[in-house]
Amino acid sequence: MNHLWLFLLDTAGRMTSWDFWAAYLPYYLIGAVVTIELTVVAVISGTLLGLLAALAKIGAAKTLLTAGLKRLASLYTWAIRGTPLLVQIYLVHFGLNQFDITLSRFESGAIALSVNAGAYITEIIRAGILSIDKGQMEAARALGMSYAKAMRRVIIPQAYRRLTPPLINEFVALLKDSSLVSVIGLVELMRTARIYSSSTFRPFDAFLLAALIYLLLTTVFTTIGNYVEKRLEVYEK
Amino acid sequence: MTEPVVRMKGVEKYFGSLHVLKNIHLSVAPGEVLVICGPSGSGKSTLLRCVNHLEPIDEGEIFVLGQPVGFRTLPNGRKVPVKEQDMNRLRSQIGMVFQRFNLFPHMTALENVMEGLVTVKKVPRDEAREKAKRLLEKVGLGDKLQNYPSQLSGGQQQRTAIARALGMEPKLMLFDEPTSALDPELIGEVLAVMKDVAKEGMTMMVVTHEMGFAREMADRVIFMDQGEILEEAEPEKFFTEPEHERTKAFLRRILAS
Ligand SMILES: Nc1ncnc2c1ncn2[C@@H]1O[C@H](COP(=O)(O)OP(=O)(O)O)[C@@H](O)[C@H]1O
Ligand SMILES: [Mg+2]
Repeated sequence: MNHLWLFLLDTAGRMTSWDFWAAYLPYYLIGAVVTIELTVVAVISGTLLGLLAALAKIGAAKTLLTAGLKRLASLYTWAIRGTPLLVQIYLVHFGLNQFDITLSRFESGAIALSVNAGAYITEIIRAGILSIDKGQMEAARALGMSYAKAMRRVIIPQAYRRLTPPLINEFVALLKDSSLVSVIGLVELMRTARIYSSSTFRPFDAFLLAALIYLLLTTVFTTIGNYVEKRLEVYEK
Repeated sequence: MTEPVVRMKGVEKYFGSLHVLKNIHLSVAPGEVLVICGPSGSGKSTLLRCVNHLEPIDEGEIFVLGQPVGFRTLPNGRKVPVKEQDMNRLRSQIGMVFQRFNLFPHMTALENVMEGLVTVKKVPRDEAREKAKRLLEKVGLGDKLQNYPSQLSGGQQQRTAIARALGMEPKLMLFDEPTSALDPELIGEVLAVMKDVAKEGMTMMVVTHEMGFAREMADRVIFMDQGEILEEAEPEKFFTEPEHERTKAFLRRILAS
């Protein structure tokens, strides 16, 4: 192990940026895979969480249960959107320790990111659903559909077409925000860059390579998103 | 005497402090075509929307097909909400046609007509498709089955919306100014479809300012003003010798335009 460090230090001075990148790219890619995993988990669970919270917020508070859920959903988005992600990550990873709950770095990171993303996605989905003309719900109800069926068959299918652009933005933001999870020591892309920055004394090369990989990932994400958006656009002028 | 399709007794409706419907008593007999007219803001849409409980009423009672709408009065006088499923089932027997069509934009004309059949009436898809096709052919849209609403003219959209409502085999049809969002040259095609529906014996409540339609098809015309039914008469009498000054003024304005 010590030999490896010495080797890196010794050669670093004579390397060009290209040499550095060529030498360390494989390690960065391993970190990037963790970043992608983290983002995918947060996108999926954050979207589910957001959909549930959005439906709770929009629905009528007719029964004690729905009224309670509505309150809970409001509290959730208020608290999460009003506090820094960094604090949330610490609370999950270190805070829960106080109650003898020990999570792996990946678990903590994934939970914090999902819960955080869920709150923002709630507002995106809520705005999307509310943007659907009221006449749509009325027409569905007039046919005899229940509220739930009208949501499922008429409102949500229309909303999600409108939701794709803001959701893609949110997913891209999430990918970038996942770099914050490096603070609890999870070796994702950002942490990888920090490790090689200090071990090689080439912080510019080390962080620039991370930046380029982030840029590549967000560009791919956006491109896929735009493609999906186009495919969904058929019926709207 | 047969049970009326719609029976409204002492209906009151408020939007906040705005008194929108005042002591409405109204019955619609089976097969009757009732035309409702009156100035903008007089409560015509609200009246229709109360009939299928898109709007809850504050006082009074409404029965459709003998069933209570929205609230049921217990023998002890207390009011309890009608069960959700019962209300949905009743709504599926009441067709509604909106001023702005309200077709589902993510579905083709065919799918729009099939939707209620499949998801509410649980008709098998193949059967629903055949029925939807027949209905769209009947309203003259046999060649537009696969068009999305955005690819149809206003008149075609409204005819699709009528087909969608008819597909449910309703016992009552509510029309809320079905032609007022249309370009003048498209009004005729929609009125023609409505006349066909009326001739087949459908019970209809129609909010419209198309006085030609009212004269020809209505069994009765009511005039609403500021939330009240001010006048109620057979069309001949309504148009030739209205009783109220406000009705006369309204008719003069409508007929002049
Ligand atoms: N959802 C609502 N909230 C508050 N006021 C409303 C609502 N719907 C209608 N109104 C008001 O109630 C009155 C009657 O409206 P409406 O029934 O639409 O009249 P009409 O169809 O005869 O033009 C109007 O003053 C209108 O502004
Ligand atoms: Mg109206």
